[in-house]
Amino acid sequence: MRRLEDDPVLSDLLETSQIQRLEASLARLGLGQVSLSEEKRQGAIPVEFNLETVGWLSADCDADSLKATAELVAFILFFVAKYRLAADIHHDATEAGYAELQRKHKALQESEARYRTLSGQLQERVKEQVATIQKAQQELYESARTRSVGQLAAGIAHEINNPIGFIKSNLKVAGDYLDDLEAKLPDDRETRELLEDFRDLLSESLDGSSRIATIVADLKTFSSIDHADYTHCNINDLLKAALHLLKTSYADRRLTIDERLGELPEIPGNPARLSEAFYNVLDNAARAIPEDGRIVVKTATDNSGNIAVVIQDNGCGMAEDIQGQVFDPFFTSRPVGSGTGLGLTVARDTVRAHKGLIRLESREANGTRVTMLLPQAS
Amino acid sequence: MADFIPEENRLNLKVVFYGPALSGKTTNLMQLHSQLMPERIGELMVLETRDDRTLFFDMLPIGLKGGHGLDLRLKLYTVPGQVQHDSTRKAVLSRADGILFVADSQRNQQDNNAMAFGNLEENLEKVGLDIEAVPIVIQFNKRDMPDTVAEDELQQRWAHTPWSPLQMASALNGTGVVETFRELLDRLYTVADQEFRLARDHGIERATFVERLSARGSDATP
Ligand SMILES: Nc1nc2c(ncn2[C@@H]2O[C@H](COP(=O)(O)OP(=O)(O)OP(=O)(O)O)[C@@H](O)[C@H]2O)c(=O)[nH]1
Ligand SMILES: [Mg+2]
Repeated sequence: MRRLEDDPVLSDLLETSQIQRLEASLARLGLGQVSLSEEKRQGAIPVEFNLETVGWLSADCDADSLKATAELVAFILFFVAKYRLAADIHHDATEAGYAELQRKHKALQESEARYRTLSGQLQERVKEQVATIQKAQQELYESARTRSVGQLAAGIAHEINNPIGFIKSNLKVAGDYLDDLEAKLPDDRETRELLEDFRDLLSESLDGSSRIATIVADLKTFSSIDHADYTHCNINDLLKAALHLLKTSYADRRLTIDERLGELPEIPGNPARLSEAFYNVLDNAARAIPEDGRIVVKTATDNSGNIAVVIQDNGCGMAEDIQGQVFDPFFTSRPVGSGTGLGLTVARDTVRAHKGLIRLESREANGTRVTMLLPQAS
Repeated sequence: MADFIPEENRLNLKVVFYGPALSGKTTNLMQLHSQLMPERIGELMVLETRDDRTLFFDMLPIGLKGGHGLDLRLKLYTVPGQVQHDSTRKAVLSRADGILFVADSQRNQQDNNAMAFGNLEENLEKVGLDIEAVPIVIQFNKRDMPDTVAEDELQQRWAHTPWSPLQMASALNGTGVVETFRELLDRLYTVADQEFRLARDHGIERATFVERLSARGSDATP
């Protein structure tokens, strides 16, 4: 490309036809055969522009006229060149301006694209953050709940254990006293019946006390007051404690529960949280079944010591469209006031915290099966 | 950049007059055209609008023949100072070997000077020239005007830059124009000599370069 500083040559300034026209005009002025060209010829003199020889002029005339003609041609070429240079720089400047505009446009597009991705990422980030916050909130709620249940259980266990202890031993001593009394009382039918009744009362009371003691022990296991964190868990024991508690809380109903607990290895876990998870799933099942319904609790293990817990009921089940939501926090299909809707969410989070899997299958009017897989090493 | 054409033993150098609009760049060039009588001087080409504002550029070629036959050409260009002609300014500025910055001494023009100098820095970078490496001379023109910033103040302000000392001129009256040009020739020689060995290879000493390219009509020797 021609640059501004490049000196033009004759052909840059005039086309062949224009040169011919100029030569013809000069010839008609009486200069004879006139020739203007880039090559130097015999008798030709230079035509200058910008201190530069742009062409050579020859004519059939005297030296003075030739010189004057060369000046005239140079004068013409000066204005031609002026136009050429102006046109060239205008072209260059416009071109450069356009290139710059395109560059800016491209940069703008790029930055727009960047911002678009950024805004997309931002949305993702916000979503993530919201999820994190929700999770944290729920964990907080959960841990507060677990803690308060634990504290309550610990308090009850402590308060009940002692009186139950002396009630039980007192009842035993009372039995002994009864034996002593029997020896001292007349041996008639009325007295015998009375004493027998008395003995039944005492042994029923003793049975009751023992049951209370067991419940307290279960409660202790359930809330795991003894070990707050990860430890070796006997899943069957935890399930049994949860079942016991379930039966106690549904004392007004006869729950039919089929326990098919297989031999299990211990797995590492948080007993308090696992117990709560099992209880929540069982509680759901208990609420789903009618009076004559049944709950099946199965446990099994594989070669690697992973554990499967299956809790199945033949209750009302749930519609397909809500199955996807059952693990969502505060989702409940039951009437308002019957629960927080956190039960299955807590169960899922607990299983996940143990690197396990929880799956819910349900058919409306047929029942629900919850399967929890807990790995040996989490 | 300078163009050396060995086959023709010819060296082309380019000097650009830069500065804010109406600072007197064209007037400087016109004064050089009328005051200088260098060995060779071409026609002054002025491309302006009706109201005397430079539209594309002005151009004046001058030249000298070196002792060993070097054909040295210096083309002097002015840029259009008006803000809107930035693309043209850039096109004219590209490949400059020396820059003569014509500032306006009037107090109310100082912001324009600063903006134009900033624009020079920016455009130098855009056309790939290093402001530290290009010879630049700064002239404060229009000293004859009533409300000008005092020379002391100006000199002090620029004292710690590579472009000190500043040149003072009144281009309209023709004073300081040739002096400014000589200062630039002197700085240009340093750079050109380094690259093209003007003294060693072409027998052109600094004094020859400056004096012969800026000989005045009045002090021209027969
Ligand atoms: N008083 C005074 N006026 C000056 C001087 N130099 C230039 N002028 C006037 O300032 C006006 C602009 O001068 P130009 O030389 O055309 O300015 P320019 O820098 O080429 O302007 P642009 O081409 O628009 O960038 C003209 O009217 C000049 O006569 C000076 O030294 N003193
Ligand atoms: Mg001008």
